[in-house]
Amino acid sequence: MRFIARYAKDKGRVFEIITVYDTKIEQEQVDKEKPIIQTLSHQHPASIWFERKMQDDFGIVVEDAFDKRLLVHQEQFPKNIHPMRKDFDVKELSYSEFQPYNYEVINGDGVFQVSVGPIHAGIIEPGHFHFSQSGEKMLHLEVRHFYKYRAIEKMLEGKTLHEAKPIIERISGNESIAYQICWRDILLQSSQQELPQSLQKHHSFLLELERIIHHLTDLGFIPNDAGFGSALAFGSKLAEDARRKMKEITGHRFGFGAVDFENRFIDTASMIEWLDSMQERIDYFEDWIIDIPSLWDRFDTTGILSLRKAIKFDTVGVVAKASGLAIDRRANPFYLKYGFELMSEPNGDVGARFKVRIAEVKNSLKMMHNLLEEETTSFAIEGVEDGEYMSFTESSIGELFMAIDINNGVIERFFVRDASFMNWQALHLMMRNDIIADFPLINKSCDLSYAGNDL
Amino acid sequence: MIKFWKRRVKLGVLTENIELEDDIKAIQKEIKDKVKKKFAGSLAIRMVDSGSCNACEAECNALSNPYYDLERLGIYFVASPRHADVMLLSGIMTFNMTPHVLDAYEQIPKPKWVITLGDCPLMKAPFDKTFAIKAPAHQHLNITHHIAGCPPSPKEIMQGLLEFLKKI
Repeated sequence: MRFIARYAKDKGRVFEIITVYDTKIEQEQVDKEKPIIQTLSHQHPASIWFERKMQDDFGIVVEDAFDKRLLVHQEQFPKNIHPMRKDFDVKELSYSEFQPYNYEVINGDGVFQVSVGPIHAGIIEPGHFHFSQSGEKMLHLEVRHFYKYRAIEKMLEGKTLHEAKPIIERISGNESIAYQICWRDILLQSSQQELPQSLQKHHSFLLELERIIHHLTDLGFIPNDAGFGSALAFGSKLAEDARRKMKEITGHRFGFGAVDFENRFIDTASMIEWLDSMQERIDYFEDWIIDIPSLWDRFDTTGILSLRKAIKFDTVGVVAKASGLAIDRRANPFYLKYGFELMSEPNGDVGARFKVRIAEVKNSLKMMHNLLEEETTSFAIEGVEDGEYMSFTESSIGELFMAIDINNGVIERFFVRDASFMNWQALHLMMRNDIIADFPLINKSCDLSYAGNDL
Repeated sequence: MIKFWKRRVKLGVLTENIELEDDIKAIQKEIKDKVKKKFAGSLAIRMVDSGSCNACEAECNALSNPYYDLERLGIYFVASPRHADVMLLSGIMTFNMTPHVLDAYEQIPKPKWVITLGDCPLMKAPFDKTFAIKAPAHQHLNITHHIAGCPPSPKEIMQGLLEFLKKI
């Protein structure tokens, strides 16, 4: 049974705890006066961040958890406030006294600590990595995030689905289309309408375009982190070409605002030509890069995540697929009809994640051929019914899960779990046999989102 | 590898064959001259993300792709605030990140400037103010220039950097 998410809702006198698995959903109620729950982390270690988040957000006590440190609330965050409770309506907080965070460390003779971040050397998002080192060898890594915590969940409460859209599409810029598709599915469920086939094809086309942009960027950056710069020049050029295509189709380079209910005209002839040229260039890229032995010397056997661990930590997306755990939300009749193939690699190393990305780009290009739609359609959403809705999409990182409760036409509880939230918790497992200089390479090979994780 | 070089020679220099409008060429020349005059040849930028959606970072990364190739103009993204002339600030100034942003600013040697990138730092993006946000950025820092957009395109960032150089 695959664990997907665990989150709480403030229901007046009680808290409702929802636990989502791939095959079932469990609900549990606890008294607000005595909010004590049991941890799932013994069976599903990745539940610990969900539980620590609940503890910060709602003040729920996870009785038998092995880790009760604050997660979202950092050193200077005011103590004992629980912002996700309905009665919390403070708009401005001041910094409280600095309380050090106890990192998970390994101590011993000659073992030393290396702290990296939140501000990193490159142009990347903020996050903290804490290493216990024995010489160059990484003994342990603790990933610490939530520097980008914007309180998106609270921000969206009280808004209608339409009002929430501009914010939802900006939660994680690289996965904007995926977030919008999750939002779309919830909107459709709440209005009990079926999406016309042509629009569904168009949205899926955009999702695949977003995926190839993200993967192509990584196909440049991963070799660059192993010191092979010309791949970055090649990959970033292809990514820019694809991003310009996104601008041409949607009017925005990241597709913000792209998922709506109107199909506009697309020049299919020129698009097919472009897809063919992309296909040719990615084939060339693969043929070229597979043949650079010094690069594969760095990729192979670096950052291994075993299948056993990938399953135990309930990883998703590229990380899971590269460890032989073939799960993908696109494995459904709609996508299969348009040529979807489930990619996976057995080795679980940086090289495997790199190969999965190449294979996915090629498959996405093929699907985009089939998903091209000439028909122009317009579709109106009528009425939004109150209720509790959930949706899933496969973003370029992995499975995205969104749950929205609507009450009186506005959002009562918004919850989203980015694929990164699962995979960050498995990152430390990949470091066991590697040296600290491999860390940027391993991290980049997973290319997880910080913004989608922190919310 | 021979295949690579064959293709490379055939492809030529992309940066010059770019089908962007002519004005980008004018801008590029102007930036080059300004950087030379005011910063002895190179303007060093420290990019700090204080809670963006990563789109602004993606566009800054795009500045070094073969189409834009910012570095040939003498403008560099540097790895440490201590190497920087300018802090380029993106994102919404979250509660958790603001102290670190101010730390980074402290570390930049004088004279120093702050440029805000994208709508977030000025609270002009669709995000609402919550308890976890400390924006707008000018409450904490003296901002010399703002590059608007959500996110600004690489070309707009280049134009924005030029306007900044004109300003100081």
